Amino acid sequence: MKAQLSRRGFLKATGILGAGVAIGAPGLHAFRALAQDAITIQWWDHFLPLQPLLESVFAAYSEQNPNVTVQHTVYSPPDLGQSLQLAYPNNQAPDVFAYAGLSLPVPALQAEGWFTPLDPYVSEEWKSRLPEDVFIQGNTVFDGVLYSFPIFSFRFHEILNWFNKQMMEEAGYDPENGPATWDEFRDAARKITDNGGGFTFGWIQGIGHIERMGDSLNSLAQIAGASGPIDFATGEYAYGTDPYVNALEFLVSMAQDGTLFPTSTTIDTRNARARWATEAGGMFFDGPWNIGVLQSDFADFMDLISVTAPPTPEAGMTPYVNRGPKIGDFWISSQSEHPEIAAAILQEFISDEFQIGLAERMDQPPLDTTAVSRANVHPTYVKAIEIFNQQVRLAPSPSVRNPAVSEVLARMSDVRPNLGEIVQGAISGDVTDIRATLQEYADKMTAARETAIAAAQAEGFEVSQDDWVFDNWERGQDYTSEFYQ
Amino acid sequence: MSTVRMQDSYSGMTPALPPASRSVLRQLWHDRWIYLFLAPSLLLFVLFVLYPVVSSLYFSLLDWNGFTSNARFIGLDNYIEVANDPLFWNAFNNTILFMVITVPIRVSLALIVAIILNDPRLPFANLFRTALFLPVITTTAIIGVVMTFVFDPVGGPVNRFLLETGLVDRPINFLGQANSALYTAMGIHIWKWFGVTLVYWLAALQTVPKELYEAAQVDGANPRQVFRYITVPVLLPFGLLILVITALDTLRVFDLILTLTGGGPFLRTEVVEVYIYRWAFNSSIPRLGYASAAAVFFGLATLALAAMQGVVVAYLRRKRNEL
Repeated sequence: MKAQLSRRGFLKATGILGAGVAIGAPGLHAFRALAQDAITIQWWDHFLPLQPLLESVFAAYSEQNPNVTVQHTVYSPPDLGQSLQLAYPNNQAPDVFAYAGLSLPVPALQAEGWFTPLDPYVSEEWKSRLPEDVFIQGNTVFDGVLYSFPIFSFRFHEILNWFNKQMMEEAGYDPENGPATWDEFRDAARKITDNGGGFTFGWIQGIGHIERMGDSLNSLAQIAGASGPIDFATGEYAYGTDPYVNALEFLVSMAQDGTLFPTSTTIDTRNARARWATEAGGMFFDGPWNIGVLQSDFADFMDLISVTAPPTPEAGMTPYVNRGPKIGDFWISSQSEHPEIAAAILQEFISDEFQIGLAERMDQPPLDTTAVSRANVHPTYVKAIEIFNQQVRLAPSPSVRNPAVSEVLARMSDVRPNLGEIVQGAISGDVTDIRATLQEYADKMTAARETAIAAAQAEGFEVSQDDWVFDNWERGQDYTSEFYQ
Repeated sequence: MSTVRMQDSYSGMTPALPPASRSVLRQLWHDRWIYLFLAPSLLLFVLFVLYPVVSSLYFSLLDWNGFTSNARFIGLDNYIEVANDPLFWNAFNNTILFMVITVPIRVSLALIVAIILNDPRLPFANLFRTALFLPVITTTAIIGVVMTFVFDPVGGPVNRFLLETGLVDRPINFLGQANSALYTAMGIHIWKWFGVTLVYWLAALQTVPKELYEAAQVDGANPRQVFRYITVPVLLPFGLLILVITALDTLRVFDLILTLTGGGPFLRTEVVEVYIYRWAFNSSIPRLGYASAAAVFFGLATLALAAMQGVVVAYLRRKRNEL
């Protein structure tokens, strides 16, 4: 006999079910109890190129622990930050998340109780396998307790000179090593533009990518002699100094020469890379991940290019770029009910197998840079890592020496136009007096810092501008923990 | 008197309620179905309009980054800072300039095209209407991205056309130059939303009684006289409404500007919405309180403009009635 459900019957059934849900029917509790053994770890990050590698680790863990499933969600960095911003107040934070797209510094989030420490779930033997420069108060450690660790090395910058070998050769330069100085770079850009017939330009960049252009100017100014955005000898902002002014004038000179791809002023880095790969430009400043992106999106172009160190103002210089210690990449949420599982998965990230896998993605250099030599990677990636080993040094960090500095940073207002916007303005012709504009920016940053220091002091934090001064810093040397003594 | 007596007769039944309350309750009960059907949209309005507005007002009085729980009440300090920030006024000026230039062009151009398309003798009128409406249903962010290619100085179709026809001898960097970026964005905005204004005008044109046109034809009126003495007076009230709707439309250009120029070059196309977004979500330390103050400040300025517009409309109506 065919069973039929009348409309009235259906309404009655759903009504009873609804009432059951509302009063918490005992049968439903029993169902929940059955499901208790199955554990789902929520994992949010922004590492799209690393998705297969991370998920292979998750799969291996699930194979050994069949009741555990990792639900992996990959966001864009801004979306990740906004999702976390909404998830925490609503008690819906994931078990593990990457620190990206969040504007608050890590110590401020720690003060808000966002994290669970890693320390209780890892052995001393495992901790001893981490490089010493990982254990940084305020970056990975709070009150001597390890909370996180970076999976990437700090030794990288975003101004490697990637170029088209054939165009470089036609311009009369070594197709493997390209131009070495700013003058040579300008000259090569001119010649590539002359040979380009109006469709290929010497230099292409995503100038519309404001944050990146700010970072790039910081790195380029260090190539020109600055110690960083802050002069470690005085603790003052260095934006108005010669290295910054000269570096920005160098970038502007390509726009004035007509060798900058004209659309560059409004496009972002991804767009610029895509156009570079279609031969709209000859040279392109980017990080080591450039070759990884080319491998996935423009594989045919990979063997037509080479990479070299960023050009220097003069020949024969030994340039250095100083990068601060890295903060942890993944953090266990304080709302996680299974921190031990999250920690067990995280421990796999420093295994040789994972680090080699990381190198083979050709993104940022792996924490263990020696893994690159054991990995199957493109020769340009190996060259990029060699350049970083020669040029990139560990910079001192004010918040490592005095954690109260992070309280100042958390209270500092943005200054606009910011450094990236000034770069864009100078290249588009809106900023004509480069030195005055950069000095004005430095002055505003100084004022913003003074206000933030005063606010932090008023709340009882012992901090002053002297915390940004590092008398014992020496150019070309890693500022490791013993220098803080 | 009869009303009072009626209320007295009820007073014995509901002694706790004053007469006015009883009357309101009776009215509510009488119209219960109306309120029941209104409830879903009312609920959505409260959730997605009223609540955010009230929240913004509250946030604007706080020094708060949106992350932490230690929001600090600072009174009107955010408003004072907004009022003293030249970059806010840069964004405000860009927004107003955007409105002042695009609204008259869009409204008048759409009226002209609507009159042409409304002519029953025009062949393929529906095809033209559809073609002009197509950009409206296309996602603005996609249009923003596509237009960066259309106006590309290297190989973009606009520049190629200008070069090939000899109108220019060098490509123009429409979106990358301070003096052209905002106007290019305005042009794209007009093209994108032109169809909506056109539909408004076409709908308005349907309200003009055909008898009036026929009578004018019998009287020997020429097309200019028909437009001046029949079409314009009938359309005027609609026109004012279309003007207000279009003006409000031009204040919502966030997605177009962000995808087209990101507010650049050097803040030349930054409108207030982008300014608010930067402070709320895209600064190194977000300032939700400050961004809310900028939003409220701008909202009040918009209200003031709308009120001014209302005064002008009332004046025009009065004048028209006097004629």
